[in-house]
Amino acid sequence: MTTATVRTSANVPKAAKGAAAQPAQPGFAGKLLRVDLTKKRCWAEAWSPAEMQELLGGIGLGAMILYRETKTKSGKGNVSWDHPDNRLILATGPLAGLPVWGTGGLTVVTIGAGTNGPTSTQANGFFGTNLKYCGYDAIVIQGQSKDWVYLYINDDTLELRDARDLAGKDTWETQDTLSGKLGLTGHQLSVYSIGPAGENLCRFAAIQGDYGHVASKNGVGAVMGRKKLKAVAIVKGTKPLAVADPRGLMQAADDIAHALKTDPGSKSLYEYGTLPGVVNLSKLGVLPIKNYTTNVPPADITEWAAPKLREGFDHRGHQCNACGMHHCHMSIIRSGPNKGQTIDEPEYEGWSGAGWTIGATRPDQIADVAWLNTQLDRACLDVNEFGWICGWVMECQEKGYITEQQLGFKLAWGDIKGAHRLMEMISHRKGFGNILAEGVKRAAEKIGGPAKDCAIYFEKGAAPRGHDHRGRWEEMLDVATASTGTMETGNPTFPTEVGQPARINPYDGEQVAHYVAGLRGRKNFEDSLGVCIFTVRCTLELICRALNAATGWNWTWADAVRFGRRTAAINRVVALRGGYTPAIEKPSKRYSSTPVDGPAKGQSIAAQWDKMIDVWYNDVGYDRKTGKPLPETLRGLGLDWLVPEVWGKKA
Amino acid sequence: MKVLKITPEKCTGCLRCELACSYMQTGQYQPAKSVIRVSPFEGHTSYAPYTCTQCAEGWCMTACPVGAITINVAGAKDVRDDVCVGCKLCTIACPYGTAFYDPDTRKAFKCNLCGGDPACASACPTAAITYEDTATVDWIGDFAAHRAGRLLETV
Ligand code: SF4
Ligand code: SF4
Repeated sequence: MTTATVRTSANVPKAAKGAAAQPAQPGFAGKLLRVDLTKKRCWAEAWSPAEMQELLGGIGLGAMILYRETKTKSGKGNVSWDHPDNRLILATGPLAGLPVWGTGGLTVVTIGAGTNGPTSTQANGFFGTNLKYCGYDAIVIQGQSKDWVYLYINDDTLELRDARDLAGKDTWETQDTLSGKLGLTGHQLSVYSIGPAGENLCRFAAIQGDYGHVASKNGVGAVMGRKKLKAVAIVKGTKPLAVADPRGLMQAADDIAHALKTDPGSKSLYEYGTLPGVVNLSKLGVLPIKNYTTNVPPADITEWAAPKLREGFDHRGHQCNACGMHHCHMSIIRSGPNKGQTIDEPEYEGWSGAGWTIGATRPDQIADVAWLNTQLDRACLDVNEFGWICGWVMECQEKGYITEQQLGFKLAWGDIKGAHRLMEMISHRKGFGNILAEGVKRAAEKIGGPAKDCAIYFEKGAAPRGHDHRGRWEEMLDVATASTGTMETGNPTFPTEVGQPARINPYDGEQVAHYVAGLRGRKNFEDSLGVCIFTVRCTLELICRALNAATGWNWTWADAVRFGRRTAAINRVVALRGGYTPAIEKPSKRYSSTPVDGPAKGQSIAAQWDKMIDVWYNDVGYDRKTGKPLPETLRGLGLDWLVPEVWGKKA
Repeated sequence: MKVLKITPEKCTGCLRCELACSYMQTGQYQPAKSVIRVSPFEGHTSYAPYTCTQCAEGWCMTACPVGAITINVAGAKDVRDDVCVGCKLCTIACPYGTAFYDPDTRKAFKCNLCGGDPACASACPTAAITYEDTATVDWIGDFAAHRAGRLLETV
């Protein structure tokens, strides 16, 4: 059943061989796709080259849309994640769809269900490519549907179609079904969808697409579920994309590729994706083992080395748009109970969340861990938060804080079958799973007592990524102070390029705080371009070269950093509108506890926490008490217009 | 003569070849107008590119009633835009489905080996496409038969 069809003829290319209709701004498709699920309406909206230069795309564009459109009617507060006026923004960026490696990029921006604040979470595949060749830079979704629908995009054909038959299907089944129905295989169709966890509004539900790409943070899948939008299906578009300097773009793309292949900081990523993380991080005490109860892996961890993790499966590269990294793979399980099943090779975070965190650390469990990781993608649960929940329940049952009766079954460390059962209970909100579906923080608070002290979370309602951050203090501080519920500063990549030291003492809180504050900006810039986090592990200068070749602009690394900080300030203002205060910028007790063994043994971040927060606030120019960006900080970022709203007319 | 050698096992389906091809052939990025096309096999788990093999018979060239298809410096069959009348006979004559018709220009178009420096081969990050002197041009037959067979086994 077709509920709404909109056809526009405005942007149909007239002729090929150079004579096609050119979008005014090279690098961009030139339009935003607006969708109102309440009114069942889709329409194209032009955006200006000036706005493109100001906002780029991704989180830059998304943050501004949240700022403009998620205020409550009274104008003071912010709508909550489940309100029809919440926006779900699926944005690409100026590099998406172009021959720079890893440019199928999607950034999801919304008021997330985890923190009830702004969100920025990325995935890849072919979303950005297919969308831009259909003629759109981003999709902005508002309203709520009464019944399940999916959004179908095929150049100028925009339809909200009946998805009642897709309800209950997992994300891979959803894509299989749509591919079959539409008669399109492979990358001819990019599908991003939710599985049962999103349909049932689990607070850590993700949006999954193109078999293994997950925008996983801050409950974006729950937002999509609340809107009753089952999937977005984008046919590979037929429109042209013009760039300002095609030769320069190819050259920049090749130089980025060369840097990724040869630089010591990215070479192992190029060869094995994130697989080497398991063994490498264990040496730093950053691999989370059994819910942070230990940091000492068994001696046979060598069986988890990257080549073994890959070669243990029949595998084949399954790269995103124009990507040459040996990263994403489709794998087939060779033996055991799941023999013959196709899975997406887990990321490091999959091995940790569906494995090490929940005590599945034996080499003979590798295939089972990989299988569970794909089941989580299919159910659309964030593998990180699932790890923290499942590990917590396992520990609590061992200690008698959560009884077998309460849970309904016995769940011991490393029990993959049991973990899968728990996943089913959570994604269908069955029994005790209904409490766990609220996410690790809310579940821990509900159970309370000593159980609460074992849980790993941020007070703001977010969950960490899959490491032991008691050995990686930057990330704990970064996420604690981020307005988006996940990293806002990100990994230190070429820190000296932005005037930061090459190395710091990882256990000196003050140094860490200066470092995190000093590195701010880059990540928001990257997440606005439509590129993959892994294919921009090069200097900002190189990325700017690609951006400039695509758009004809003249960005420098300093512009990029400033852009990112400006975006962060806008996100902060939206967060403040939703009730954000520095009081919630705290890790839970277990999360910030002192490691009892391993390489980070005895290092206490809790003892230095307040000092770290002080330094961070001072360095970034935000007010320590209220969390507001100071007037001079806003003005310095060119956000003068925000000052009266944040500080009153007299400031 | 140098031709495009395809090693299907190496292809990851990243479609960079299509992007590079479309730019070289049309002046813009527009994979829908690429003359190399990457097909999925086994649903979505494997991919392989496919384009004109510059076959010795030259069916397209023989079929063209106005002599618009000629052999260029690289030895490739090339459509001359100024001569082509858009009758589509070449697209029917080609047994491999690698001669196309563009409704926007009303002309036929096909791989011309970029005049001797094929963009797809330079763009491919995995060397699944190389430009070489080889004895055969049947790259995809065995691969396709094998993959299709595997798919049938699983259903
Ligand atoms: S590095 Fe991986 S996720 Fe990133 S673009 Fe390449 S294949 Fe995709
Ligand atoms: S560029 Fe190479 S790896 Fe990518 S789709 Fe084309 S042939 Fe395959």
